[in-house]
Amino acid sequence: MDIQLVSALISGLGMGSMYGLMALGFYITYAVSGTVNFAQGSSMMLGAVLCFTFSQTLQWPLVPAVAMALLCCAFYGLVVEFLAVRPFTRRGSDAWLMSTVALGIVLDNLVMHTFGREPRSLPSSLAITPLEVAGVNLAVYPLQLIIPLVGLSLALVLHGVARYTRWGTALLATEQNKDAARLMGIPIGRAIAGAFALSTLLAGVAGMMIAPLSNVNSDMGTLFGLKAFSVAILGGIGSPWGVMVAGLLFGVAESLITVTLGSGYTHIITFALVIVALALRPNGLFGRAGVKKV
Amino acid sequence: MKYPHVMLLAALVAVAMVCTFSLNSYYVFVLANVALITIVGVGLNILLGLSGQISFGHVGFYAIGAYTVAVLTTQAGWSFWPAWLVGALFSGIAGALVALPALRAKGPYLAMITIAFSFIVQHAVIEMEGVTGGQNGIMGVTAPVLHKDWSPEQNIAVLAVLTAAAMLLVYALISRGTWGAAMRAVKDSEVAAESVGINPLAAKTMAFALSALMAGLAGGLFAPLSGFVTPDTFSFMQSILFVLVVIIGGAGFIAGPVIGAIILGVLPELLASLESHRLLFFGGLLLVVLLVAPNGLMGWLTAWMGRRAGNGATSPLPSDDAAPVLDARPRHGLKVRGLSMTFGGVKAVSGLNMDLPAAAVTSLIGPNGAGKTTVLNMLSGFYRPTDGGFSLTDAALQTEGAWRIARRGVARTYQTSQLFDSLSVEDNVALAACRGHLGTVLAGGPFRSRTVRQRARALLAFCGYHGDPTLPASQLPHVDRRLVEIARALALDPEVLLLDEPAAGLSREDTDQLGDLLKAVAAAGIAVLVVEHDMELVMSVSDQVIVLDTGTLLATGNAAEVQANPQVRKAYLGDSGDLMVTESRDPPQGPELLGVSRLVAGYGAEPVLHGINLKIRQGEMVALLGANGAGKSTLMRVLSGLHPAQSGGVHLNGEVLNTMPAEKIAGRGVVLVPEGRQVFPELSVLDNIRLGGFLHAEDREVRVQGMLERFPRLRERQHQRAGLLSGGEQQMLALARGLMAKPRVLLLDEPSLGLAPKIIAELFEVLDQLRREDMTILLVDQMAALALALADRAYVIEGGRVVAQGTADEIRANVDLANAYLGNAAPTPATG
Amino acid sequence: MPFALLAVSGGTALTQQKGEAMLRAVKKWAALVLCLMAGGTLANEPVKIGLITALSGQSAQAGESITRGLQVAIDEINASGGVLDGRPLVLVRRDDEANPAKGVVAARELIHKEKVAVLFGGLDTPVSMAIVPLVNQAKMPFVGPWAAGTPITKNGADPNFVFRVSAMDEIVDIAMVEYAQKNFGARKFGLMMVNNPWGESNQKGLVAALKDKGLEPAASEKFDGDQVDLVPQLTRLRDAGVDTICLVGNVGPSAQVVKSLRRMGWDVPVVSHWGPAGGRFTELAGPGSEKVHFIQTYSFFGDQSPAGEKVIAALKAKYKDISGPEDITPAVGVANAYDALHLAALAINEAGSTEGEAIREGFFKIKEYQGLIKSYQQPFSPEVHDALSADDYVWARFIDNRIVPVVLSQ
Repeated sequence: MDIQLVSALISGLGMGSMYGLMALGFYITYAVSGTVNFAQGSSMMLGAVLCFTFSQTLQWPLVPAVAMALLCCAFYGLVVEFLAVRPFTRRGSDAWLMSTVALGIVLDNLVMHTFGREPRSLPSSLAITPLEVAGVNLAVYPLQLIIPLVGLSLALVLHGVARYTRWGTALLATEQNKDAARLMGIPIGRAIAGAFALSTLLAGVAGMMIAPLSNVNSDMGTLFGLKAFSVAILGGIGSPWGVMVAGLLFGVAESLITVTLGSGYTHIITFALVIVALALRPNGLFGRAGVKKV
Repeated sequence: MKYPHVMLLAALVAVAMVCTFSLNSYYVFVLANVALITIVGVGLNILLGLSGQISFGHVGFYAIGAYTVAVLTTQAGWSFWPAWLVGALFSGIAGALVALPALRAKGPYLAMITIAFSFIVQHAVIEMEGVTGGQNGIMGVTAPVLHKDWSPEQNIAVLAVLTAAAMLLVYALISRGTWGAAMRAVKDSEVAAESVGINPLAAKTMAFALSALMAGLAGGLFAPLSGFVTPDTFSFMQSILFVLVVIIGGAGFIAGPVIGAIILGVLPELLASLESHRLLFFGGLLLVVLLVAPNGLMGWLTAWMGRRAGNGATSPLPSDDAAPVLDARPRHGLKVRGLSMTFGGVKAVSGLNMDLPAAAVTSLIGPNGAGKTTVLNMLSGFYRPTDGGFSLTDAALQTEGAWRIARRGVARTYQTSQLFDSLSVEDNVALAACRGHLGTVLAGGPFRSRTVRQRARALLAFCGYHGDPTLPASQLPHVDRRLVEIARALALDPEVLLLDEPAAGLSREDTDQLGDLLKAVAAAGIAVLVVEHDMELVMSVSDQVIVLDTGTLLATGNAAEVQANPQVRKAYLGDSGDLMVTESRDPPQGPELLGVSRLVAGYGAEPVLHGINLKIRQGEMVALLGANGAGKSTLMRVLSGLHPAQSGGVHLNGEVLNTMPAEKIAGRGVVLVPEGRQVFPELSVLDNIRLGGFLHAEDREVRVQGMLERFPRLRERQHQRAGLLSGGEQQMLALARGLMAKPRVLLLDEPSLGLAPKIIAELFEVLDQLRREDMTILLVDQMAALALALADRAYVIEGGRVVAQGTADEIRANVDLANAYLGNAAPTPATG
Repeated sequence: MPFALLAVSGGTALTQQKGEAMLRAVKKWAALVLCLMAGGTLANEPVKIGLITALSGQSAQAGESITRGLQVAIDEINASGGVLDGRPLVLVRRDDEANPAKGVVAARELIHKEKVAVLFGGLDTPVSMAIVPLVNQAKMPFVGPWAAGTPITKNGADPNFVFRVSAMDEIVDIAMVEYAQKNFGARKFGLMMVNNPWGESNQKGLVAALKDKGLEPAASEKFDGDQVDLVPQLTRLRDAGVDTICLVGNVGPSAQVVKSLRRMGWDVPVVSHWGPAGGRFTELAGPGSEKVHFIQTYSFFGDQSPAGEKVIAALKAKYKDISGPEDITPAVGVANAYDALHLAALAINEAGSTEGEAIREGFFKIKEYQGLIKSYQQPFSPEVHDALSADDYVWARFIDNRIVPVVLSQ
């Protein structure tokens, strides 16, 4: 039972850090532009599918395959912003909520027709033999330990980029005060496009990391994207660390509920917890309530 | 009710009926399905179109309706009709429950709650296998029989079409009645809705419950139409399609859901022969439709037809001059005792005592940041005082919510007028006249009654609004917005009327008329409290003037007493005695650097700036003086590109600036240090300074060091978050940040605002230093003394026009500044 | 529609003047283009075969395999002169998105608008179950090449228009229990069921099958198709002392079970429904995939009957992504659909018309058909609507990426 809890905890942390990574993507675009790609699950799927295509179908070495896949993801982010977000925010319409979903449907089905309908597997040498500690099988693949590490270190890298690079601080500034950022000469339009590229790239990373544990197919991201959205909201969409912590909490809660009650109740209880949390803290667990403006 | 709409609906129903009985079962099924989607769409339209809330969980309510009918008719042996009603009722109750967190959660947070709700419903259905049949659902749900010769789908189609028509009528009734107006009001401005006595929670909950009820009705018909229910049918995607119905059709338009349902019900069928490519094209077409008509096809259609999207123009009412507009009954004044408010340790208002007598105008004045608006917000229930309280009679009001206080008779207006933009002028006033009593849902309520309408028109006329009462409030010019807002507040028949800067942005003539109006209101027995910067207005209307400075009472008395009070004069004009420039100089005679010609700009219909001309020479320091609301800050925002100019031009060395975006203008070297500092609060002091040099990365670190030398206090705090700095430090930081942008012209907007005298002196030295470095500066500061002590030349702006200009000495000598700042009723001792 | 009538009579006038070739061409075009709209009757007007299945989403691959089985059979039949003395068959497909509501609309469209002669379909049991009442009411023969839910054919309707050339869950479940007992000496059964309708109905079927043997499952677990970590469920099975796992899940989820077993280091026999056969199970599941024994109706690996050779050749020729038996996935979809279509064509010929009731009777009149899966002798009767029985099931497992019947591998 102890081993089982440890294993559940580790895999919960792994999934949670990926929810967190994708939720960070939501946070970034929301902070800079007040919009999100509602079909972010498709971006995640794109990362996994492209990584598979480059590394397996085309037999590229891993590093260029991953790099190229991430580049394509970032480009897709620009496409989302250009096609499904900018035309609407420019006209003050909220229809970007719907248009991003429509674009997601298009991408899912394009991938289905090009990549194929069969689920495929992205092999990883880190997901073959489980870890053993002192002869005890932990029931955990090495990859599952690496995923939360990658997730958290990516969050740290992001933090560093945001704090210590010119464009990073520019993004933070845009988030904190749009007008003042423009007065500094920061091009808001490009900052928003960049945020979408970054957000999609993060989703792509999540897709690639999850793929060896799961399968690669055209609708692998749908539910995952939605959970990442609830994580972003739960964390209070204005706080990067809150979002990451909410991701970890969500992942661990999910996995502990599955261990103790069975998977049938996982969705019911996690989503009920989301409602309760939002009813008690309407701006998310870590969100700050703005002073009521009158 | 407009008959064309009813005729159109009847025609639609007739066409649907003809189709039902002439086409084959497939088309009848598709038709019934479109009718079901319409019903859900109408419900969502109440939620989205009227109350402005979004739900991505409506499939949950749909499922509750469907499963209730399926379970009750198959397992409990009920007949369809009671099962249908019970299902709809369950859905409605679930809707009301989901709405409860909506009191606090908004936007994406609320959307998430609804998503979570629908997931819970779907998975609960799966887990409750004994009742719901689990994953495999319930088969063999039979259709109700309206006529024994009709096929099951014909029975349902007839029922669904009739229900859809009925729901459209229900929508129309709600939309034109009190509840609909209240929902729109909450959508447009929750704050303003509360201040006319509407409980936003009631309006939102009602919208949610009705909307869920309709989804439940549709779901209850879906079960017998398809003959089964399974959990898969009620997926998240279906919720999204429901929202699409409303968005594609056009939220808030009565016909929107019909059009949306036809498109989303029929399009997949048209694309069916694309087989596995169907979803691909469906997604693509949706994207195209959204791009073409982001506000829905109805929005696009009405825009194309150039028609006004109004809510039922009313026939003209004969005005009834016999009844007095405001009851001349005795009213209560407001007693304020020990009123205090602390924000995060800072005392915004402390221990304020005042009496607002009935039938008198009291003015609350004081420099910016004195806490005037905070007082208003406490008196109207938006802030709960940290200490002290206020009362009309004996009952303490400070613990009541805003809408309760409004119902007790405390009405107010806002600094930026908050009308319900999607309602007509008359509807704005008529809704307030209901005082939050909304009546039954489908009845028009008091809102539609003749007496209320007459009163609304009379009040509008009383307040001096003579325009079209059926015009949407969003189309009103600035002056009329003020008047309508006052009429709306008076419609509550209040004891007390609170006005927050009613004269801001009004011309002299309009302000004078406003003064007359305020006196007339007081004459009717109402206690009037005005927060105002226009001293001429204050001095001419006030029976009592209360001066507030840094949250405490500075002086009370009549107009003349207050004007003569030396403390008041100092609080307003500053004391130039402390501030001495290190060396005086002749005005620089360099070439013109920044030129502004015939600049017109504003918000909404009415311009704030009416053709401003000014020029600034190289190396010159120019002051821009004028009372609050004169348009100084607007001018600064236009110069920096944050606000668009309507006409006229801004030139830098001959290059046109006013067509550039703000970030480009900053690149050209016109750098604004904005009002209120606007530092990036979460970034460190150093990062703030560095960001100033965003466009000039080359020698950035060297110049950052230069700034730390210029502002030694910033060096001490360079690693702190900027949000933790004191006001003075933030101002220094904002300056440093601006200087990092290599300004050719530095625009300073109210640098001394809210700073302590000692800090102001420090700031003065910094500015003096910049002057000696021959920086070109345009300075706006309400401390006229400070500005004039530094500036080479000055412009005085009033009502959006330049009324005087000259060298600083000339302005000091010739223009009565007290006139501009404290009103011309003041005695005129020599200033400076 | 007068326009169509004109065209038809024009065609008749031409026959008397021009040669045979011209006649054929004109008639063919008239039939193909105009009669679709007119709904009139011509001597070799195509006979439409409808198919409702998932063409998008998770089950799209299975839908595609059914399509291919049907198409290859249709091509064969058309090449040898079609049905009813020269009428070609055409396939009309609709995507049900694995959603019963969509399936029902599509069924109505195919029945009432496209006017198909025979309707195939139902990948997912709930979709089929939703369509069944409709076809019985509309008197439309409905042939199931996949969905195995027992009540699909045993639906209580009289007359019953539903036929099936596929496994039936109830029988598969019995077969699984018996196979596990015989091969692995299973005593404590652990059920691992995917959380969808298919999993749920097999859970019931397995419990019933075990009850017949005087047993009950030692533990029963559900898991979601997109769940990454199945260790918690499997641990509970192990803690209950399970010695054999009965698995029901599509290929992806089944692979997740194998991966999680490997992670736990639990070496336990797995007896599975046919889920793993649909796709690249070895690639997905990695080492350990060979431990899963699953049921099949047909295997394209190993020695093939002439029919088998013919079908493989036809598939290779028609679909460029097929280069060998390992690409024919899921094999059951192709094989079942192929045989089902031939049987339906025989029924149409027996009926002598495309009229639903006649075709239903036609199914009962089929005496013999040398099929892919087996040689069918009187496959249908008013009592028997399932062409396959427990005797037709083949147990198989993956060796590398080939599905190999278990008898051969031992």
